[in-house]
Amino acid sequence: MATGNDNGYDIRSILNQMREEYWEALSEEESEAKQMLECLVFTLGGERYAFETHFACEVIRIPKLIRVPAVQSLVTGIFNLRGDITAAIDIRPMLGLAQPELGPAGRILVVRGDLFSTGILVEAAHGVQPLDLEQFETAVAGLSAERKQFIRGHFNLEEGAVLLLDMEALLAAPELLVGEA
Amino acid sequence: MGNRYLEIFCREAEEHLASLQSGLLVLEKNPARTELLHELLRNAHTLKGSARMVGLADISAITHTMEELLKGMEQGLRRVDAETIDLLLKGADAVALITSALMRGVPPELDVERFVAEYERGESGRLLPVEPLEAKAEGAVADTVRADVKTLDNLVNLVGEMIINRKRLEAKLDGLKELCYELPPEKAAPFTAFRGELEEDILYLGFLIQDLHEKAMGLRMLPLKTISDGLERLVRDLSLQLSREVQFEIEGQGIEMDRVLLDGLKPILIHLLTNALSHGIEPPEAREACGKPRRGSVLLSARHEGNSVLVEVRDDGRGMDPAAIKAAAVSRGVIEAREAEGLTDEEALYLTFRPGFSTAEIVTDISGRGVGMDVVKKNIERVKGNVTLSSETGRFTQVTLQLPLTLSVLDALIITCGDETFAVPATYLQEILKVRPSEITTMGTDEVIKVRGATTPLYSLAGMLGLPARRDAGDAPLPVLVLKHCDQRIACIVESHVGYSEVVVKGLGKQFGNVRYLFGATIMGDGNPALILNVPDLFQPGGGAPRTTLSPEEEAAVKRRPKVLVVDDSITTRTMEQSILAGQGYHVVTAVSGEDAMEKSASDRFDLIISDVEMPGMNGFELTRLLRASETYQDTPIIIVSSLSRDEDKRQALQSGAQAYIVKGAFDQGLLLETVQMLIG
Repeated sequence: MATGNDNGYDIRSILNQMREEYWEALSEEESEAKQMLECLVFTLGGERYAFETHFACEVIRIPKLIRVPAVQSLVTGIFNLRGDITAAIDIRPMLGLAQPELGPAGRILVVRGDLFSTGILVEAAHGVQPLDLEQFETAVAGLSAERKQFIRGHFNLEEGAVLLLDMEALLAAPELLVGEA
Repeated sequence: MGNRYLEIFCREAEEHLASLQSGLLVLEKNPARTELLHELLRNAHTLKGSARMVGLADISAITHTMEELLKGMEQGLRRVDAETIDLLLKGADAVALITSALMRGVPPELDVERFVAEYERGESGRLLPVEPLEAKAEGAVADTVRADVKTLDNLVNLVGEMIINRKRLEAKLDGLKELCYELPPEKAAPFTAFRGELEEDILYLGFLIQDLHEKAMGLRMLPLKTISDGLERLVRDLSLQLSREVQFEIEGQGIEMDRVLLDGLKPILIHLLTNALSHGIEPPEAREACGKPRRGSVLLSARHEGNSVLVEVRDDGRGMDPAAIKAAAVSRGVIEAREAEGLTDEEALYLTFRPGFSTAEIVTDISGRGVGMDVVKKNIERVKGNVTLSSETGRFTQVTLQLPLTLSVLDALIITCGDETFAVPATYLQEILKVRPSEITTMGTDEVIKVRGATTPLYSLAGMLGLPARRDAGDAPLPVLVLKHCDQRIACIVESHVGYSEVVVKGLGKQFGNVRYLFGATIMGDGNPALILNVPDLFQPGGGAPRTTLSPEEEAAVKRRPKVLVVDDSITTRTMEQSILAGQGYHVVTAVSGEDAMEKSASDRFDLIISDVEMPGMNGFELTRLLRASETYQDTPIIIVSSLSRDEDKRQALQSGAQAYIVKGAFDQGLLLETVQMLIG
């Protein structure tokens, strides 16, 4: 048995190591895919909110909004989105939030529901961020019933909490529909 | 010569040739119908003139000969015989051949020079190729494609986008003009020249877009005939069922309309024709008895007028009897006897549009279910049309519908109101006036002005729509739109009117259902949307427009309703407060000044008074003090609504005896209602 260990070349240990590395890499990849949620993050009522990017079509500066007479106050106005008349809605009262005035940082998040596209007015948009699901908690303490309806939970991030909106529930809310069907 | 003109000529020629051809064929069968000659002569003459305009001497020569032949026949110098007609037809064929060759840019399959010479001598063309028409028909099949309606709609939408874009370009051009003015003259010259060129380009683009738009719309247009065939059958069956003798005629079958409109028109026509047969045309014996022919006539006609289509249904039956209509309306509780007395005969006809009205005494399966004309009216509103009734008892009834050609582009007046821009469809616009506040008078609870001698209720559009508006200043004239809908007229104060424009109608998207006051939106030159008003909504009760008649129970409820007096010199504020309060069931009376308020409060008893502070003459504080001093009003709640927000004013209001003070700047419906409810429940 003079061969084998002489050059310090232990094929078995190398193979073991490779196998370990391989599995490690695999599990790392898997957990990463599971943990992150691609979200659009923005400010509403002074708080940070988010929803999944697949609901969002685009983020635009607030154009001139044309007031619509005799409709619910939720509908702030309509605007021209490349030829399509689109509503700009202020969802803050639905979430029981304060309505600070929209400044130059204000944006409209155009979202697409099953039935229609609509523009959500926000105080600022912070772009798309992958949010770590490990830091997600479904329960949010101290939320009123009306807010709970549209909030799925929150992310405890280092820079502060981000609430996750339930866009599906929000877009299906009858309050969003204007006029008689 | 531009190709463009040639093309236009060829298209025009096609129409005249078709008309010539069909007219000649009819004439061939009925040589006695010389009245047809006149129309044929007109066709030939127009064709000749147009051919000369574009320099087509051959066609001009051929049509000249045709014209001579037709003139000869008309003056009786020539017999209306097969030979001459054949000669004319050959002439038409030759012209068709030449134009179709021109269109395709190939030489015609005809020795034109020889033909013209022979034709002038009265020899029909041996030169003409045989059966050119069939060859043409074959070509036509190959030239046609089927298109999905959705594709056509998309196409029309895209053209609509182009129209909007053209408007934006025009707005930019105006901006450029302004910029040029600001430059020093020596620098401005090249820019002005550039701008001039750009203007021409945009003008040309505009022509192209217009042309394209017409073509695209044309694809969606269908002739009235597509729905009228079924109507003939309907009239035939109904007259058998009702034992009437009726001659039904349709004029203007070829008038084309957007298919969406035709869909909306069909149920209306079915209804009107059913009415004409069941309520209009009398039984044959009855007709004979009053000296009319046994056979009644019903005429459905369509024609263009300006940018709209007029569709008329006229019958020579018993007509509409204003007295009987009034009586029926009163007995069905549609209107009160007192109100009925005040109506003119013409106004009475329109009672048939009120919900719940039907004069048929027996409910049959044909008509008389009481859901008649009001449904017609609803349908007409849906297609943005207007309707007029005219009738003479014992002689005729005529219903005239005025419809837009299409619902995708409307002629509209652009106005501003409540800081927003609106488009008002021209169909509903009667006129634009300037009215001085001193010309406004009050009648009962309404404010009215005289429009051509007719007393017309006046409202502030901003107030009706619940939008904020500028304060009326002094006795400066206010722009007022007089709107008409059926027989009703209302006048609306607006901020300003900007001018007429063709607007592309866009839906508000699926987030919006039927929104009161709105028909849709359009996009203006600056890229921003403007809302298109649905004018009939402004006439609806609760919108501040003419009041509905009330049943006895409702009348009693009115009496129990708290009465509120609104005092303000601004009509906007008055209309707004009135509609807010009336919407909550309060009975509201308005006064235009403190003096007016004193007068009204003396003759009536109010449960609450809402007053402005600054008014010409007596101000709100003085009014409050006077009211407090009177016996009847010493305890009546008074609310001061004012744009003065200083504490000093509030203090003064309370000192004078007012219960509440609302600042107009922070004016919102909720606050006013809450305060009113708190004070009088």
